[in-house]
Amino acid sequence: MSAATMNVNIVASDHPVWSGEAKSVTIPAYSGGMGILPGHEPVLTVIREGDLVVVDPEGTKHSFEVTDGFISFDSNKLTVVIESARSISNQTVEETGL
Amino acid sequence: MGSQLALKSRIASTGSLEKIFNAQEMIAASHIAQAREVAMNAKPYTDAIFDAVQTLVAHSHIKHPIAQSNEDNPHVAVLSLTADRGMAGAYTSSILRETEDLLNRLEAKGKKPQLYVYGRRGVTYYKYRNRDLAQTWEGDTEKPGVEVADAISRALLNAYMKPEEEGGVSELYIVYTEFINMVVQKVRVLRMLPVQIVEAEHGEAGPTTTEQMETALPLYAFEPSLEEVLDVVLPKYVRSRIHECLLEAAASEVACRQNAMHTATDNARSLIEDLTRKLNASRQASITQELTEIIGSADALSNKEE
Repeated sequence: MSAATMNVNIVASDHPVWSGEAKSVTIPAYSGGMGILPGHEPVLTVIREGDLVVVDPEGTKHSFEVTDGFISFDSNKLTVVIESARSISNQTVEETGL
Repeated sequence: MGSQLALKSRIASTGSLEKIFNAQEMIAASHIAQAREVAMNAKPYTDAIFDAVQTLVAHSHIKHPIAQSNEDNPHVAVLSLTADRGMAGAYTSSILRETEDLLNRLEAKGKKPQLYVYGRRGVTYYKYRNRDLAQTWEGDTEKPGVEVADAISRALLNAYMKPEEEGGVSELYIVYTEFINMVVQKVRVLRMLPVQIVEAEHGEAGPTTTEQMETALPLYAFEPSLEEVLDVVLPKYVRSRIHECLLEAAASEVACRQNAMHTATDNARSLIEDLTRKLNASRQASITQELTEIIGSADALSNKEE
């Protein structure tokens, strides 16, 4: 499962934000942070304002500040639907010591 | 035959009009590219919401006020999408005609329609006729952003969710212009609320429906609960549908304007040609007359000398 990736698609109401493969995604779910790894069970969750972090296969972290919305995960495809998003930073995980 | 001066000034003014029409046509053409871009940017969001609603429908029989009709309340809302500016041929007038038709039909059925208008032309039309408007929006009809769609859908959903005594409505109709292609645009009436999700599934998804059902089969987990997910997703769905209508209306408006301006440019050109012909004929006539006069008087003089 270590090399597994999932397809991530982040869309805001007026433009697509980010899409591609990812190793893991952390979302600001309704009841607190929620991590999603490839092969997660199908889920449809309301999310709140907060930070969304995507780790792509190269280990680069993409962080976004997102507003409310929802995510749906099905057949290894994660769709994040939000009102608007702002990219905060891209940093490599290795550099931050992880 | 008109005087040459009058003809000249008419040619000049028609010429400058032609320039204006031509410029308007070019502007409309460039706006089409913009409208297309806005629509392309909104498409992934609309698709994602549509998929989510499909999933919800596949998993539960939706019991939510947005999807259920309340037949007892005779109040209904009608949203009419018109243009901000004129010079778009029959765009706004066909919308207004269809709106009037719809209002009459609804009244005949014993409903009490409330009118919501988007677009300055429509608003001034109704204000001039002292009609009661529930709410109006103006600006950006050529490239409606998310903000406008948000304002409109919020107001309409508010009206829809309110109980009858407080002025709530039981249905929402949208009159807008469907963009078929650059040459053909058609006025359509769409019943937006209550949402008919099941019908939309059969109508719009078409042959892919069974496929979607199969892919949606794994049991979903809804967090925090199905009801709360519905509360979040359905208003967003309505808003994105309204935004879709706005975008389509905007594309139609721009296409209408481009067509109208193209025809106007052509007309101005043929008018200039006609006038130039008249001017030439009148100049020729005056030259002929002068010549006749000179020859006539020369003849008279030479006759005298003899």
